[in-house]
Amino acid sequence: MSKSSLDLLHGTVAVLILKTLTWGPLHGYDISRTIRQRSNGALGLEDAALYQALHRLEHKGWIEAEWGLSENNRRAKFYRLTDEGRRQLETEVSSWRAYVEAVSMVLETA
Amino acid sequence: MRSNPRIPGRRLFRFPWRTAAQVAADVDEELRFHLDMVAQELVDAGWPTEAAHAEAVRRFGDLEGTRKQCSALDRRKETQMKWMQWLEALGQDLRFAGRQLLKSPAFTFVVVLTLALAVGASTSIFSVVHGILLKPLPFGQSDRLLWVKPLTNGEAGGTLSYPNFSDWRDASKTVAQAASFHPGSINLSGDSGDPERLIGMYVNAEFFSVLGIEPLAGRWFAPGEDKPGGPAVAVISEVLWERRYGRDSGLIGRSIRLNGAPFTVIGIVHRKEQFFDVAEVWIPLGFTYENLQQRDSVYLGAIGRLAPGATLKEARSEAKAIGERLARQYPEANTGYSMDLEPLQTYLVGEVRTQLLVLLGAVLFVLLIACANVANLLLVRATAREGEVAIRSALGARKGRIVRQLLTESIVLAVLGGGAGVALAIWMTKALVALAPAQTPRLDEVAVDSPVLLFALGITLVTGLLFGLAPTIQASRPNLTAALKEGARGSRGRASTRARNTLVVAEIALAVMLLAGAGLLLRSFARLQEVPLGFQAENVLKLHVSLPSSRYDDDAKLQVFVDGLVERLQAVPGVQSAGVTVYGLPLTGGVNVWSFTIAGRPPVPQVQEPIMRAGVATPGFFETLGITVARGRALDARDREGATPVIVINEAAARRYFPNEEALGKRIILSPDNPDGMEIVGILRNFKQNALAQEIEPQMYLPYAQSPMPSLAVVVRTASDPAAVTAPVAAKVHELDPELPVYAVRTMEEVLALSSAQPKFYMLLLAAFALIALLLAAVGIYGVIGYTVRQRTQEIGIRMALGASRERVLRMVVRQGLTLASLGAVAGLLGALLATRGMQSLLYEVSATDPAIYVTVAVVLVAVAAVASWLPARRAAGTEPLLALRGQV
Repeated sequence: MSKSSLDLLHGTVAVLILKTLTWGPLHGYDISRTIRQRSNGALGLEDAALYQALHRLEHKGWIEAEWGLSENNRRAKFYRLTDEGRRQLETEVSSWRAYVEAVSMVLETA
Repeated sequence: MRSNPRIPGRRLFRFPWRTAAQVAADVDEELRFHLDMVAQELVDAGWPTEAAHAEAVRRFGDLEGTRKQCSALDRRKETQMKWMQWLEALGQDLRFAGRQLLKSPAFTFVVVLTLALAVGASTSIFSVVHGILLKPLPFGQSDRLLWVKPLTNGEAGGTLSYPNFSDWRDASKTVAQAASFHPGSINLSGDSGDPERLIGMYVNAEFFSVLGIEPLAGRWFAPGEDKPGGPAVAVISEVLWERRYGRDSGLIGRSIRLNGAPFTVIGIVHRKEQFFDVAEVWIPLGFTYENLQQRDSVYLGAIGRLAPGATLKEARSEAKAIGERLARQYPEANTGYSMDLEPLQTYLVGEVRTQLLVLLGAVLFVLLIACANVANLLLVRATAREGEVAIRSALGARKGRIVRQLLTESIVLAVLGGGAGVALAIWMTKALVALAPAQTPRLDEVAVDSPVLLFALGITLVTGLLFGLAPTIQASRPNLTAALKEGARGSRGRASTRARNTLVVAEIALAVMLLAGAGLLLRSFARLQEVPLGFQAENVLKLHVSLPSSRYDDDAKLQVFVDGLVERLQAVPGVQSAGVTVYGLPLTGGVNVWSFTIAGRPPVPQVQEPIMRAGVATPGFFETLGITVARGRALDARDREGATPVIVINEAAARRYFPNEEALGKRIILSPDNPDGMEIVGILRNFKQNALAQEIEPQMYLPYAQSPMPSLAVVVRTASDPAAVTAPVAAKVHELDPELPVYAVRTMEEVLALSSAQPKFYMLLLAAFALIALLLAAVGIYGVIGYTVRQRTQEIGIRMALGASRERVLRMVVRQGLTLASLGAVAGLLGALLATRGMQSLLYEVSATDPAIYVTVAVVLVAVAAVASWLPARRAAGTEPLLALRGQV
């Protein structure tokens, strides 16, 4: 794992978690692994930050949790996206795109 | 399928709520799972187990902080959701309750109406109690104000002499400031308006500062201004300022004429802050016509303000000590003297207190009866709904949830009833204030304000819980199998029947107590109306005229005026006779009491001299009022100035002071200036002098011509409506002197009605409450019997099929109602025996345990109960046996 991974911008963790959960209910460990794999290890998400974010999102009602069994038959807490979380993701993604576009335009004209 | 997305985490099924420890354990378990997975990953990559675990923890980051934060977040969410679910359930309960109530509109209407009446009546009576008894007086720190109660041989008197007052004030350490005063009539004349008769107060300089009030304009009296010979200054009421001077701000510093002399207006009293609410003018005590030096001249009222830190108890024992010292120091004037203090509010409210508390008690009884009635209706309903409740329990509704649902229904009913009740109370309170006797103190303080609304809210919720409780308890112990099997029919007769019967018996008992109280007041009022007056009030007009000492400065002038007036009045068309008295008119207050001695009896010390009410009158006075002579003669035209001094007394005086001898011809000595005294020439038949309920007191009359006085009460007897001669009579007064105000014009019948207005008012209110109670109790009996009859239809059908006659069925059902009524009546009569004891002071010549009343009440109640159970009984007796047996009724 590269040590030069990008530091995650504040607020980005939420979008990443929401996006990850669009494929189905996952427990915390899977979420962390999925994010790492999809970014090819470029996004080093610290576990502490991930879990705090998960509980914050649950509190906001964007995701909900339920205890279930993991692949290796252990009790694990699975998170799933709520309707409200889905809507929230859409807004966040479009504003993220707008932001990226704006930054790229500045960088390209320079 | 989508659940409502607005409610986070809403589920069809929810695990039981977690405690804080469980929340923390869940967080730990979640994190442990993560760490184990990471460690496993590392072990798979070749790490040794122990090192893998340490590395997992290291990679995680701030483990402890994360644990804490996650637990905190979860706990918050847990609480939030608990509330959400509670609110949601409440919404469900409310919607459900609404639907249930709309389904049976007649039931809902009866319950809401019953509650509205009970809550409305209770709230409006409480608003009166609050305004008069509970609200603080409108003065600064009014709970520190005291009324001074002088005692003679342990008996409380109302007034004290100036020397006793000032000695007490100077000696007292627990009372910071004290004021003394007495009321008096004051003529206001001059300026542009008509001459007026005002009620005034002679007060010492500290009067207003003791009360702790500020002038609306100007200033109060300065220390020392109250000494005899002090400046002629006056304070007037806001009412007078507005009425006569149109709130002219220039009035302060201007001069007005009081009793014919100029006084400078220095201040104005706010209308809400008056201590004696009919007073319109205050002048310094130095101007009083009474004697300020004499210790046995007893006419001042006194109030004081507790010193900071002093308690009422300390002040009372100090007053007692000072009073007893004054008794030792001045034995002639102060035999048996002592002093006591009481809170000013207690004094001002006085005897109204008992009456109001009786009314409040009565109205709360009505409320309880209403509660019992509604509880009964709900019980019947709950029994009918047993099936529904059973099904819900069978489907897994928890006991608490069902109880909550039923209580919600009761509370909804209570709130509907309470809301209607408050609306009713606003109207009823206005009516009460309008109808209340004018003598009631602090009537203007009565209003439906926030404490009163709070009271209404309180009783509404309490009644909702009270009447909701019984059916709830019943429903929370459902006998599932029985209820489901048998539908709704009589599955659990015993317990619920007992509950309903108990409620009805309680209701009847309360109604009996109220009826007994009302009956006592009614009988007392009837007794009062039967009191022989001893004079004829019909067709008599009375009015007052006061001759100012500035112009009528000797006896001859007074005599000329009175002679001229009587002569002119007799000439007015329609007037049959006319007379004048001073301190002699019955039922109008204005008492004058003189001490006297009887010629030829051994002398006694001055303080032990007998006393008697004393008035003066012209001969026409007795004729006009129809006061008759028992022996001897009435006063007549012979009794002029210079003729033999004579006097007439009433039978009460003759009996008290000449018990075993003939009073006629004896001589009464009123003052050492006339040692021969006056000869008793006539004994008048007794007539009522004070309020009707009071004893007749010894009374004497002197001929006006031999002792003229200036404050005249004029009476005229007319052939027809006495009020019709008001204008011509006033015209005759003004013919003689255009500057004299004619005031307090009333027919004697009005005076009579006023004197019994107060007992009448309370009697009518209590009677109204008792009737409502009786009605509610009747409805209660009817409801319970009616319900039992419905339940027993099959049984009755069987009885009739087996040959029971209609009469037998009728008797059986009515007997059940009468049993309940008798039980209730006995309990109620016992309760009444205890409760009406507190009413004795309100009763006139009726004992609080009057057996006639108790028997009547019991009979009335049993009769009403018989009718109330006969109605459903008739229906039962009309049952067609065959239909009943098939269960088709």
